Amino acid sequence: MSSNGNSRLDPHLIAELRAALGDDAVVARAAELKVYECDGWTIEKAAPEILLRPRTAAEVSAVLKILHREGVAFVPRGAGTGLSGGCLPIGAPVMICTSRMNRILAVDYASRRVEVESGVVNLHVSNAVAARGFFYAPDPSSQAACTIGGNIAENSGGPHTLKYGVTTNHVLGLEIVLPDGKIAELGSAAEERCGYDLVGAVVGAEGTAGIVTRATLKLTREPEARRTMLAVFSDVDDATRAVSAIIAAGIIPCAIELMDQLIIRAVEAAFHAGLPTDAGAVLIIELDGAIAGLDDHAQRVGELVRGAGAREVRLAHDDAERAILWKARKRAFGAVGRLAPNYATQDGVVPRTRLPDILRAIGAIALRHNLRIGNVFHAGDGNIHPIVLYDERDADQTRRAVAAGREILQACVAMGGSLTGEHGIGAEKIAEMPLIFSPEDLTVMSELRRVFDPDGRANPNKVIPTPGSCVEVSTPRRQVPI
Amino acid sequence: MATTMKHETPTSMAPAIAAATPAHALRPVVDYELLFDCVHCGLCLEACPTYVITRAEVDSPRGRIYLMKSLADGSLTLDADAVRHLDLCLECRGCETACPSGVHYGKLIEQSRVYVERNYRRGLAERLRNRVINAIFPYPARMRVLLAPVRLAERAGLRPLMRRLAPSAMRDWLDLIPPLTPRKPAPHSPGDAATVAADAPSAVVHHGCVAQVLTDAENWNTERALAAVGYRVAHLARTQCCGALDLHNGNLERAREFARANVREFEQSGADAIVSAASGCAAVFAGYGELLKDDRELAAAAARVAGRVSDLSSLMVARGHRFTHEFRATVTYHDSCHLAHGLGVRDAPRAILRAIPGVNLIEMAESDLCCGSAGSYNLTEPAMARALVGRKAGNIAATGADYVVLGNPGCELQIAAELRRRGARTRVIHLADFLALAAGANPSRTDGTAPAV
Repeated sequence: MSSNGNSRLDPHLIAELRAALGDDAVVARAAELKVYECDGWTIEKAAPEILLRPRTAAEVSAVLKILHREGVAFVPRGAGTGLSGGCLPIGAPVMICTSRMNRILAVDYASRRVEVESGVVNLHVSNAVAARGFFYAPDPSSQAACTIGGNIAENSGGPHTLKYGVTTNHVLGLEIVLPDGKIAELGSAAEERCGYDLVGAVVGAEGTAGIVTRATLKLTREPEARRTMLAVFSDVDDATRAVSAIIAAGIIPCAIELMDQLIIRAVEAAFHAGLPTDAGAVLIIELDGAIAGLDDHAQRVGELVRGAGAREVRLAHDDAERAILWKARKRAFGAVGRLAPNYATQDGVVPRTRLPDILRAIGAIALRHNLRIGNVFHAGDGNIHPIVLYDERDADQTRRAVAAGREILQACVAMGGSLTGEHGIGAEKIAEMPLIFSPEDLTVMSELRRVFDPDGRANPNKVIPTPGSCVEVSTPRRQVPI
Repeated sequence: MATTMKHETPTSMAPAIAAATPAHALRPVVDYELLFDCVHCGLCLEACPTYVITRAEVDSPRGRIYLMKSLADGSLTLDADAVRHLDLCLECRGCETACPSGVHYGKLIEQSRVYVERNYRRGLAERLRNRVINAIFPYPARMRVLLAPVRLAERAGLRPLMRRLAPSAMRDWLDLIPPLTPRKPAPHSPGDAATVAADAPSAVVHHGCVAQVLTDAENWNTERALAAVGYRVAHLARTQCCGALDLHNGNLERAREFARANVREFEQSGADAIVSAASGCAAVFAGYGELLKDDRELAAAAARVAGRVSDLSSLMVARGHRFTHEFRATVTYHDSCHLAHGLGVRDAPRAILRAIPGVNLIEMAESDLCCGSAGSYNLTEPAMARALVGRKAGNIAATGADYVVLGNPGCELQIAAELRRRGARTRVIHLADFLALAAGANPSRTDGTAPAV
């Protein structure tokens, strides 16, 4: 990849793009491109040769028509908060950033939906409708910065998806610019859709279907009340068993989040949320809904977690106490930055009942590779997020961090789980796809992808390992630039 | 059109190429270790005023940290482009509030600016402009001389004409100068102090440099308010610029000179609390411990001084002041960057405003997004400064407030200039001045109706 400004793209092509978008929307200087060479997944880096910053779907369309004619591949980028390298340009010289398409176009409270451009920040959607008692439910930890377009690409989740579902459950319709520049409207604002679920095909496609420019999202009514609890465990095993006990009792909290000791200590150092630093693990459990019966449920949950071995259960008494707990949880990833120069966040899924096993397996992997690995994750849906700490200046440590991440994923799969809960496959996990998908499965996916992108120019080398690369895919360890 | 280049074959699994990150910096741009606190999560993006305007990551804190890292490890050279994006930072430190990893961004950007000034030669116009700013602003006497023509024009009623005749580049500068007809602040009277116990804690107000020329009433009103809540108000024999301007512009040596002089003065005053009506200055005082940590003579004193820095609203809240006068007004509050992000003071000023009977506090959107003033930034980066203050004025207008209260004269001048340009009726006022107004003779309400006594 070029990062020295000596673009290998045809100067005429660049001139044509400048003419189409205007000078301020075409970035070709080295210093400005350099900062786009990675997202939140910092192990692999590559700067694009040119960055485009369109303002409208029409501009995106104009650009993609030009790139289509020239056979040039591209990669979309939102705010670059992804954790799997989904917007890393591998074999794609052009990056198209949606950050300027950030208007909230229309809010329809009666129908509970909002129409936004794809560069709108997730939290800004909720902020815009909060006064009327609504929110946008998917709430990834990066929600203060990440874009709706990025959420759609990665099918992002968040703590509250246990009850409310992930991004795909909240997208009604999409406007997408296909890799040939045509603009398609998928889905509709209507609740009942007919025909193929193409919105479902695009959400989670990680930008391989084209560039989403507009989305109609569902709004969710703020619940009447919430009860947020902190359950403190001496032993992390007890905490994971408590999770299953709650769900088995027929109670669906809107969130059950687990933080282990390493994370608790990092978070305490950063935010002084009053978490017990000697605890083996804590669960943040939140119930919401109609106020009637909520306290009974909360009491029942208290009994269940105590029964599973919780040494202490605290109930947040007001919004301020609740906010402190969630701040601690949502910013836990960043707080880990205080422990090590770099971290790699893994994202895997196991059946809820196997949480005790996977945490033990992670502990063993950490020991074997002589690495520190913390755990903070959406326990309610079995979506684990081991955080592998390392220092990118230490080549051997970086290699071990990557190997540990791969072993954790293999363990997830062996336990009947999945490679990703919400971060996507990106550049990070493409080699692991054959662990859960047969060649036939992958062929179906490839063929679906070709419907949208016959030339393979939309975010190439993502999601689906291409047949030609099968040999490399099966190698035990990807080549990772150190 | 023929392409000389075809993209790499999409079937290749070519891994991304990244140069090794060296264990040690090749160039002393910043304290290299501090860069690794940043884990590249991106949560700072929307907290950054320049990113909010340009929506380009190179104008975000994460992007600038990446520039610093690339300059330090040798993968990028210090050229006009890199300097441009480092220059555009306001040093508002909004990103520090947003950062979950505790990145010391303020320190990083200050250090990088020192590096830029030592290693990059700016164009003639920029050098001249910076010299003028550096030679005049920290010195009240020189400021007064510079302002004399404006004062004369104002007395003759010719300021509008002066504005019209001025070249457009000068107009933004002229707009920032508030009316210069002498305001007559009442210094706190001995009567106020008489009620103060001899063993009461003492406070000293640093009168600033630009502030004592353009917004001196705030200094006196801050002292009055402190006296009213039971502080013994001490005075400095001599004030020097806090050094903010130099820290901002990468002129570390003179910043340290100013700091040393101020530390000596503060120590001599014996004050328990150090206050400035300019929160920008207060945040710099709070950093003196760090700035002078290698100073053999003054390191300990500087740390003591830094530990004593407070602000008017926090001290008032701590003393549990009760307001009895009613003052009916709709008010919104603007978080000055170095008060909110630098000193972490957000709740106290709001608590004070809510405690005044009759005051209706309405929160504005983005109250803690920089207004674009940022020291001399509005003089050196007028386009970005105007974009930000325009956004701020829009957020203020949406509240319908009579007053926008704030805690820093730089913000006051900046926002007032924009509101004047827009013909808005909202009045910009420093918290200390607002307290004086509210506690005073209860002047007529801003809607023109009779006083609500």
